[in-house]
Amino acid sequence: MIAFTDIVGMDLAKQAMMLLAIDPSLGGVVVPAAVGSGKSTLARAFADILPEGTPFVELPMNVTEDRLIGGVDLEATLVRGERVVQHGVLSKAHGGVLYVDSLSLLDSSAVSHVMDAMSRGQVLVEREGLSEVHPSEFMLVGTYDPSDGEVRMGLLDRVGLIVPFTTQNDYRARRQILKCNLGTKDDEDTCDELRMLRGLLQAARELLPQVSMTREQMQGLIQSALSLGVEGNRVDIFAIKAALASAALAQRTDVDEEDLKLAVKLVLVPRATRMPEREQEDVEEQMPPEEEMPPEEPEAEDEEAPADTPDADAEEEQEETPDMIEELMMEAVETELPDNIMNISLASKKKSKSGSRGEALNSRRGRFVRSQPGEIRSGKVALIPTLISAAPWQESRRIERMKKTGKFSKTALIINKEDVKVKRFRDKSGTLFIFMVDASGSMALNRMRQAKGAVSHLLQNAYVHRDQVALISFRGREAQLLLPPSQSVDRAKRELDVLPTGGGTPLASAIYLAWETAKQARTKGISQIMFVMITDGRGNIGLQASMDKDAPKASKEDIEQEVAALAASVNADGIASIVIDTQMNYLSRGEAPKLADKLGGRYFYLPNAKAEQIAEAALS
Amino acid sequence: MGRVLTKSSIMTQTASAAKKTASTKAKAGSGVKQTSGPKKARTKKKQGQAFPFTAIVGQEEMKLSLILNIIDPRIGGVLVMGHRGTGKSTTVRALAEVLPSIERVKDDVYNRTVSQYIEMEKSAKGGRTLKPENLTIEDIPVPVVDLPLGATEDRVCGTIDIEQALTSGVKAFEPGLLAQANRGFLYIDEVNLLDDHLVDVLLDVAASGRNVVEREGISIRHPARFVLVGSGNPEEGELRPQLLDRFGLHARIITITDVERRVEIVKRRREFDDDPQGYFKKWEKEQKKLQDQIQKAQALLPSITMNDDVLTDIARLCMQLGIDGHRGELTITRTAHAFAAFRGDKEVTMDHVREIAGLALRHRLRKDPLETLDPGEKIERELAKVLGEAEEV
Repeated sequence: MIAFTDIVGMDLAKQAMMLLAIDPSLGGVVVPAAVGSGKSTLARAFADILPEGTPFVELPMNVTEDRLIGGVDLEATLVRGERVVQHGVLSKAHGGVLYVDSLSLLDSSAVSHVMDAMSRGQVLVEREGLSEVHPSEFMLVGTYDPSDGEVRMGLLDRVGLIVPFTTQNDYRARRQILKCNLGTKDDEDTCDELRMLRGLLQAARELLPQVSMTREQMQGLIQSALSLGVEGNRVDIFAIKAALASAALAQRTDVDEEDLKLAVKLVLVPRATRMPEREQEDVEEQMPPEEEMPPEEPEAEDEEAPADTPDADAEEEQEETPDMIEELMMEAVETELPDNIMNISLASKKKSKSGSRGEALNSRRGRFVRSQPGEIRSGKVALIPTLISAAPWQESRRIERMKKTGKFSKTALIINKEDVKVKRFRDKSGTLFIFMVDASGSMALNRMRQAKGAVSHLLQNAYVHRDQVALISFRGREAQLLLPPSQSVDRAKRELDVLPTGGGTPLASAIYLAWETAKQARTKGISQIMFVMITDGRGNIGLQASMDKDAPKASKEDIEQEVAALAASVNADGIASIVIDTQMNYLSRGEAPKLADKLGGRYFYLPNAKAEQIAEAALS
Repeated sequence: MGRVLTKSSIMTQTASAAKKTASTKAKAGSGVKQTSGPKKARTKKKQGQAFPFTAIVGQEEMKLSLILNIIDPRIGGVLVMGHRGTGKSTTVRALAEVLPSIERVKDDVYNRTVSQYIEMEKSAKGGRTLKPENLTIEDIPVPVVDLPLGATEDRVCGTIDIEQALTSGVKAFEPGLLAQANRGFLYIDEVNLLDDHLVDVLLDVAASGRNVVEREGISIRHPARFVLVGSGNPEEGELRPQLLDRFGLHARIITITDVERRVEIVKRRREFDDDPQGYFKKWEKEQKKLQDQIQKAQALLPSITMNDDVLTDIARLCMQLGIDGHRGELTITRTAHAFAAFRGDKEVTMDHVREIAGLALRHRLRKDPLETLDPGEKIERELAKVLGEAEEV
């Protein structure tokens, strides 16, 4: 066990945790970090800096609804002859910490319950004849590896502090971690350091009510939230609280620049949906990989959104103080942001590791979520819930049976058909359709429109089947995941609206990315996956070139072989596919049917396909 | 005790059991919760002070929709969809404080009126009629019942009272959330994430206005008419079309982008967090004012008239928008009446209709995947056409 003070690196994460320890109403800390970065060690060490006796409850990954929310304790109920309540994990975390290790792998219904508890500060238990309210005010400490997928935005919205994701791989820091791990450090020192830190935080907690900020500072923070396109108003409050806590930590009663900057870094930046306008130019410069590709006309679309000239903005900012504060904070944003800030939580990092972990989880796909009334034959019987629902009836059934048969048995267990509960698994969540749309070449716009229609069409019907749709576009040098698996029509439409077209055709990259997306989805209990490729099947950018821009150009044959090999692997992985070719016939050279063949899927030639036709093809 | 209850005596069992317990007098503002049967004190922590409804900045669409539903519950509820962290659930939970009170038979777990009570108990007692003068009545705030996502079906619909069954084998019915919500509001946060299983139950009950539980000698039917209020973020998932259609109104919520107003939101929130009771006191006058306005509107509602021309225009609007069925017309008409009443006007005009048409119709437009026009704009456009035509004639 490594103490909080011994952990080297992850300074921002540690700072976030200290702020949370000072003001638990910040809701929580989420730390995205790669495997082996020590994020869970840090999270567990968080307990060190909290007042003694603070509950620290870990949420198991495969938690069932009744364990999470609470319910009837059958055993005790039967023994005592009165209802005995078992508190759930959410209630046990009250007044302390709820720790989730892989937040992005948490089952979506569990996420909903955590969200609900956080927004109420209570758990409403309305289960199995039980109606109770359990207090449930906790700090959520969550860590996750962005390569495992995204965390639901709704949950992140209720957590005040999100540590920006950094891929820094400082080997010196790691060596230090290792040293600490080996115990080269004096235990007594650690003890003293911890005690000092705890004292400091206690003092900060006491000072907090006296800390204040000016109206201009408040306006500045809110203005920053607006510039970054942060959704909702809840975030404003978190940002202000973070700044106040930061001042308290420094034993000040006034908020200063540093506090504001920290609040921007930990609260606002991670939720940014767009670049602050005046930064636009720098960003373009910093993003050479994609933009260097053949600059075709669609590029113009990219830039036209934030049209304000930076100069005009700058002049205005001189006049008012809140804007000057905002300016300061934007500096913080700039220094903090590497190349791509757009929804750090949403940006799935390209991962290098193989999907080994995904496959391990895959074997227990179809997670048991809750039990519901059902036929014995229709599913696996959930024994305990069945017993719970049968228990209250035993006495009356025995009496009834005695009337019929004349015999009374004090011990007979009488279970009727109505008592039977079956397990409901998560994998009934339908199919994930991964659309891969060729956005290169002259027909791209047409294909995009068709894809958009088909995606919307599928999603309109999705609630029935609980289907999901993901969208990958490929153009230029590599494929891009435009829409992670989602059920939202709104989001799908929005993503498709801003789609640029033109450039090379990185077909292999698209298949690879789709496969990775499929693997992630499987870890979340989605077992059926279908690739819907809208392309003429002609790739001209190899996988190597997609990963590394300096890679030598691959030959046409190599690229074809690569695509074929990938397609075969996808097929072997049990993923269904269809290939829809919308190119005019006389142009086609038969690549698309070949691709379909390798994928083990079907080929559709729909030169003027309507959206419905594509959707139907995918459903059939 | 110990006797097996027959079908008919169960209703009385519940009713009389309920009478024995002075049910937790619903404190204004707390989600009304009751239990039936002689119970040990449950760990029912009363919900904290809700944020004052009148202190909520902006989000007029949502507030108006809720108010119109109080004035006329037949409008059929509100679906509030929109951005995260914009006060959706805060607003709904604040609603309880501005609700008027209703009269019910004292301690009745189904919140029945005297006539409903007599009607229902009559069949249970084999035709004997209860006399109204033998019943005590009481005023309770209109119940607002929270249905959490994790609720199980038996708690929603009601089930056997476990404790009584375990100890004495008595099959007493313990009413569920649907009973509590009768004549009140049923609120589901993140309604788009609700389990399919529960959605089926809700659709069933919402359509019939009653809840039916039949199981091993328990046979209960009780009224369950409520205003369904749902909220959620469209990005988290879509709502089933049948459920979508059930909602009378659809209010949209977006992030407020005006800095000054956001500062105000933050200030109010912080002030409230520091001293909820004190803050609420500060807004008491405003709350009372709104409550009075609502009550006046309720009284005015039956006498409000609407010209046939207006009705024709409404019908034409729905036709041009290609809305299936008649729920659209019906909702828009009722809503316009309630809106006129809220304004204190005696007659419904197209001005009223214009203000509420978006709320009533937005979710009823046929979905066209390739449509880029916002439903609100489309309604506005067609409305202008209808009105233009009306002027020409």
